[in-house]
Amino acid sequence: MGHRYHLLPSRLRKAVMEEIGKVSNPVWKFFASVKLTIVFLVLLAIFSVAGTMIPQKEGAMEFVQRLNPTTFNLMDFFGLFDLYHAGWFRFLIAMLVLNLVVCSLERFPSAWKRVKARPSVERTKPFEELPDTLLISTERGYQEALGNCLNLFKKRFSAFRSEETEYGTFFLAEKGRFSPLGVYIVHLSVLVILIGALAGSFFGFEGFVKIPEGETVDSIMVRGGNQSLSPGFEIRCDKFTVEFYENGSPKEYKSEVTFLSGGKEIEKRDILVNHPATFKGITFYQSTYEKVAGKELRIKLRKGLDEDLETIDAEIGKKMELPGKEGFFQILDVRHMGTVPAALVSVEIQGAEPTRFWIFEDFEHIKSRLPAQMINSPKFDPAAFKPYTFLLLGVQERYATGLQANQDPGVPVVWAGFILIILGFIVTFFTSHQTIRMFVENKGKKTVIRVTGSASRNRPALDRDIQRLAEDIRSLFAA
Amino acid sequence: MTSSAIISYLTFVYFLAFVFYLVMMVMGRRLPGTLATYTLLGSFAAQTAAIILRWQESYALGMGRAPFSNLYESLIFFAWTLVLLYLIVEWRTKNKSAGAFVTPLIFLALAYASFSPNISSKIMPLIPALKSNWLITHVITCFLGYAAFALSFGFSLMYLFKGNDSANNTASFLRLIPARGILDELNYQMVVIGFLMLTLGIITGSVWAHSAWGSYWSWDPKETWSLITWLVYAAVIHSRLVRGWKGRKIIILCIVGFACVLFTYFGVNYLAGLHSYATS
Repeated sequence: MGHRYHLLPSRLRKAVMEEIGKVSNPVWKFFASVKLTIVFLVLLAIFSVAGTMIPQKEGAMEFVQRLNPTTFNLMDFFGLFDLYHAGWFRFLIAMLVLNLVVCSLERFPSAWKRVKARPSVERTKPFEELPDTLLISTERGYQEALGNCLNLFKKRFSAFRSEETEYGTFFLAEKGRFSPLGVYIVHLSVLVILIGALAGSFFGFEGFVKIPEGETVDSIMVRGGNQSLSPGFEIRCDKFTVEFYENGSPKEYKSEVTFLSGGKEIEKRDILVNHPATFKGITFYQSTYEKVAGKELRIKLRKGLDEDLETIDAEIGKKMELPGKEGFFQILDVRHMGTVPAALVSVEIQGAEPTRFWIFEDFEHIKSRLPAQMINSPKFDPAAFKPYTFLLLGVQERYATGLQANQDPGVPVVWAGFILIILGFIVTFFTSHQTIRMFVENKGKKTVIRVTGSASRNRPALDRDIQRLAEDIRSLFAA
Repeated sequence: MTSSAIISYLTFVYFLAFVFYLVMMVMGRRLPGTLATYTLLGSFAAQTAAIILRWQESYALGMGRAPFSNLYESLIFFAWTLVLLYLIVEWRTKNKSAGAFVTPLIFLALAYASFSPNISSKIMPLIPALKSNWLITHVITCFLGYAAFALSFGFSLMYLFKGNDSANNTASFLRLIPARGILDELNYQMVVIGFLMLTLGIITGSVWAHSAWGSYWSWDPKETWSLITWLVYAAVIHSRLVRGWKGRKIIILCIVGFACVLFTYFGVNYLAGLHSYATS
């Protein structure tokens, strides 16, 4: 049989040609298959399982050491230590997306046609072979019965159509006409979520700041690389507190921070776990904390090894005169070496190179742990500047808060996708396209009313509704 | 009496309900079925009371938190949602045969919670990460999803038991199980409810993770396994669209899906991750 497309109107011909083009295009046909969807879904599931079994990223360090080089190289080549970010895993997701798009495009036109279709009101076929329960006969006159039925139908359905013929009147109400579109909303929302995730990975960053109490930072360390980034403002940690329950488990971590711009205080915020703070598009999350040395410390000066001179409360950077007025000394740095507090002392005499050495709070402990040549080096000699011996009595401790600092412009898009997917599910699974029909027939002395309907899903629910409608009509005429 | 004592007694009551359902199936009598339903209703009421009591106990200890935050409490809540969902299904379908397949799961969940030496029933305070309004919505949606999938698993087993030629089945056990077509439909309805709830669970978890850890998705094992479960049930839903895939193939996918649910729930605890507080 020959095709005679040239006889069709041009618009229709174009549509038919496109349709044929689609059908005969093998690539299109391949991706329009729901079987393929199942294959992709199951494959993604299987590879995701692999990703939870093989240690990933930082966690892989220990595992990798137990592998022989060939296995390691092979696994590394396939990106198995960062599987979810591997090219082939992304490719598989892209293929599923392509499959989803093609399947949706393939089926959407017919769904749209169903939505747009206006079933004709005057049809007798649906009313054939109805059970007795859906058929009501009354002695009342046609006009009166019709009026009663019209009122009831009006009360039940906000919108309906009716058509009058010489033998009776037909009514038709439709519910959930958009139900067939639900699945396309779901598919669209999956795309929206993935677009949001992509936007985040292209235009966002994940970073980290560590701020000791009282200090201000103006750069963020970006994760996955050694660069740091300047957010264009400064963050000061005013105070960090940690509370514990009686059993020792943590109760609350809180960082009180101030955001500054050019040294000017802009905003004060409290950051807690589950309560991040956003400033100029960057969100700060309570992540870690540690104890660090503060700026204040107490030292003791001795003459020789055993003659105590004085105890001094010092501060980093504050110059103090030596007891014998030979010159000045100051503390340049305070930090923990391992767990032991240490301070860097600098003794400065006019016209001479400064003498610099570290002193420790628990020197005996350090001695036992460090190699002899290190201990004997002048850099660790508390008596490096004669005749004095410097002793570190204590260092003020303070907290440093660790805040995760992220920017992700994709988040609102992902959230929109979440809302859309919920809406789509509700439309797909909990609405149904129902048509409810009523036919009031004029049989001279009698009037016969019939009700029926059809539903795209959940037929039993519709049957119950129709049954109830019939009962209401019956009781209308029984009274 | 403390809430955990009530729960450990209830373990035996649920076992009794299981025995009643089993007797009903084997004998084909009405009475054991009625007894089973009333036993189930009674223990459900008692369990509801126990959960509320545990909530109050946490207030008495000065913590005041919803009882959904560790493995013990989650098992209790899982059993509770399973009973609730099963009772609704039994009432709607007017068929009690699924009870024989679902009550063992309820019994096992409670027995594991009450008698495993690795699980503590002590009421512990909430760590900072769990102090969020999302805790309740996240847990409720996830566990309703798990319960729906557990019921789907029950219907899948019944489907396999039922066999093809139901007309020749004279054993009351098989006669009482609905026809395969009905089981298929019931199974699908459970999968749909479970899928919707799992999606809501993942979404609420994701929004929560965003405010707690700064990232809505970080491929944490529990997250990943919930996605795996989601993918498998997405495959189940799509496979109904493939011609000729009604029945056995879908049933097998559903059983795989429930295995994924179990792994998401229990197995993941053996893998390191951010959800580690749910282990004890």
